This record gives sequence, structure tokens and C-alpha cells, in this order.
Amino acid sequence: MGISKIFVKASFIARRLLFVVMISFGLMAVNSYTQWFKPINDVFENIILPIHWVANIPARVSRWSSFMVADSADLQMENARLAQENLIHRGQIQRMADLAAENLRLRLLLNATELFLDSVLVTEVIGVSPTPRRHTLVIDRGSQDGAYVGQPLLDAEGLMGQIISVYDNHSIALLITDSSHAIPIQVLRNGLRSIAEGTSDYNRLRLRFISSTADIRAGDSLVSSGLGERFPPGYPVGKVITVTQIPGANFVDVEVEPTAQIDRSKHLLLVFTLGDVGVPGSLQ
Amino acid sequence: MKYSGASLALILSIFAALVLQLIPVSGDLIYWRPNFLLLLMIALIIFKSDQRSITFAASMGFLADLVFGSPLGLNILLFSLVGAVPLYFSGWLVYFTLAHRCLFVFLLVIFSELMSKLLFLIWLVPENYNYIFMVALASAVVWPLFDISLRRIRQ
Repeated sequence: MGISKIFVKASFIARRLLFVVMISFGLMAVNSYTQWFKPINDVFENIILPIHWVANIPARVSRWSSFMVADSADLQMENARLAQENLIHRGQIQRMADLAAENLRLRLLLNATELFLDSVLVTEVIGVSPTPRRHTLVIDRGSQDGAYVGQPLLDAEGLMGQIISVYDNHSIALLITDSSHAIPIQVLRNGLRSIAEGTSDYNRLRLRFISSTADIRAGDSLVSSGLGERFPPGYPVGKVITVTQIPGANFVDVEVEPTAQIDRSKHLLLVFTLGDVGVPGSLQ
Repeated sequence: MKYSGASLALILSIFAALVLQLIPVSGDLIYWRPNFLLLLMIALIIFKSDQRSITFAASMGFLADLVFGSPLGLNILLFSLVGAVPLYFSGWLVYFTLAHRCLFVFLLVIFSELMSKLLFLIWLVPENYNYIFMVALASAVVWPLFDISLRRIRQ
């Protein structure tokens, strides 16, 4: 084989590549400043849903097989444990009802007009982002279930994220750990407000612009502050792990571990705040 | 292989790559998942390169843009740039040993990840650089599967 056959003609590749590079930069520019490609994405999201279903088969088979091979004695033990947990949670809810009533009385005393009434809708994760760069989930509730863009999403432990795209029967949610996400929070201990930003790491959030004299320390619990009116206030967001003072810097570097099981939770809750109540299938 | 058979094999390969890409994984496993669409594109260019290879790479990039939910054009650019490297060396690469091709893929995936990070910096999106090595290593480990399958098709 001659040397000319071994290397593909470089000028030919360069010409083609230059053409494609120009087209891609054009597409990116159009995509950044317009919504022209949204219909294409919407159509593709519906096309790709069956592929998500196929991709979920191994997980479903694994769950089904673990259920089938489970010993009946183990199942009875687990059932007894869950019944016990249920009893404890019901007792705690009764206590919560008492606290909520007390909270309501205090708010009325303070002439507060803002009363919160959240209801939730159970949803299941049917897909995750195929790349670690983007922290998104596909859930099995869409516009037919009342889901809407900006709706908060919880798991059993805390805030997970918010819905960014809604389709007929499914939605896409952006997780709080995505690098493009930020959520207003406050420290539960003293009410110090800040903003928790995603870091592209499932186990880390970062607080920005915390003064070096601010009262914040490792172990502090953070909850949503409700500012911005996107997330309802009072839901757990994370726990402070480290507070690092950088010499010469005006702000401290605060690392936070999310409370929610961001990369593990399978069943989630969609939160409907006051005004959304009455959505079919929602639990109050 | 007849033309229709090759087309069917290509469609099935893309479907399989898509399914592998979308299988939900939890924990740190997500950082070890190779970009199967990219690996398929590299394999097809090495073993079945022709004059339409850059267009093919751009088409795979378009598909990746839609699947990954990234800005349209980003993966078209990335896949075309990455695809141009094995296309230029395609005459040579088929005579490399499998181990050398694994090393080549390892380096190519690192190049691809660094390029994508560079492009995301244009939008001032902060990026996590920790997993580049993991993805590259995982890609090199699964590469023999692509290599052996595509070499058979080529023969």
C-alpha cells in the first residue's frame, strides 16, 4: 500500500471539517439566542421515551428477581418493620399537625398573610441523564398529571430539584447538584440566608458569597428559604460539611452535602403549593 | 455484507449504544460510564472509513445532542473534531494491535472530554474535571468489544 493510501487526504478532511465546524457554531448561536429548536427537542423527547423504557428493563428485572427469590420469612420481617415505621411516622404526623396548628396561630398573631398548604404527587424515576455533565432525571408524570415547569421535586430526605420540561406523560427535572442550578437557602440554626449552587458532583453543593465573619459552621442544617418563590420554604436542602477560610479572601468556601439521595432515590414527590391543590392523584 | 444488511447492523448498533447510554446507574458508577455513541462512531470510522465519515460523525453528534440534552451543535462539533483524528489515521489504525488501539481510544476520549470542557467554558458553565480519567479508562476497557465486532464486519 502506498503512503498516499495510508493517510486519508488531509485537505479533504480539513474542508469537510471546516464546513461542519461552521454549521455547528451557527447552530449553537441560534440555539443560544432563540427557541427555534425547541419543537425538535420536544418531538425527540417523545421518541426517546420507549428507549428509556427498554433501558430500564435490567433494573426492573433485578427488582422483580430479588422479590421472587426473597424468603417469605424475610418478607414477613420486612413487613413487620414497615408497619412499625408507619406507626411511628403516623405518631410524628400527629405531632406535626399540632405544631402546624400552633404555627398558624402564631402567624395570625403576627398578621402574616402567607399560609402554606402543600400537597404532593408520588412519581417514579424512569430515566437519568446519560452523561455526568448534566444532572437531570426523567419522571413518569407529565402535563396530564398537572406537572408544570418550575415545580419542586422532593425525595423522602429533602429537596431534589425542579421540573424544567413537561411533556404529556413525562417530565424532565433538573437536580440541585447540576452546575447550572442554584437555590436560595437559609441556615436553620440562625436564619442566615445564602444561595446553594450545584457543582456537577452528586454529593456536593457550594455556598457562595458567605462573609468570613458569618455565623456558619460544619454540621449546620440548611433549608429552602422560599425567596424567589420557586421552592416552598422549610424543606431540607443539605448539611454543611466544611467551612474553609481562604487567606486574603473576603468570603469563605462552604461545602454542603445534599440531604436528598440525589443519585439513588427511585420514588419522588412532586410538590403542589397553595393554588395547585385539587390536582388528580395528589395527596395532601 | 449486503448494503441492506450493513444498514440494519448500523441501526441496531446505534440503538444498542443508545440503550447502554440511557441505562440508569447510581452512585459513582455514572462517572465510569463510557460515551457509547462516541465509541461506536470512532469504531465505524476506523474500520469503515470513507468520504462520508465526517458527515457520519456530525450525524452521530446531532443524535448525541438530542439524547444528552446539550445545546444543539455542541456534540456535532465535538464528534466531528474527534472523528477527524481516526479518519486521518484510519489507514494505519487497522494495522495497530488491539492494545495500541485501546491506548489510542484512551487518548482520544481524554481529548474529547477536554474539548467539551473547553466548549462549556464558553458558556461560563463550571465543569467537574475529576472524572475525565475514569471515562477514558472505562472507554479503553470496553473498546475491545467494539473493536472485535467491527473488525469482523469489515472482514
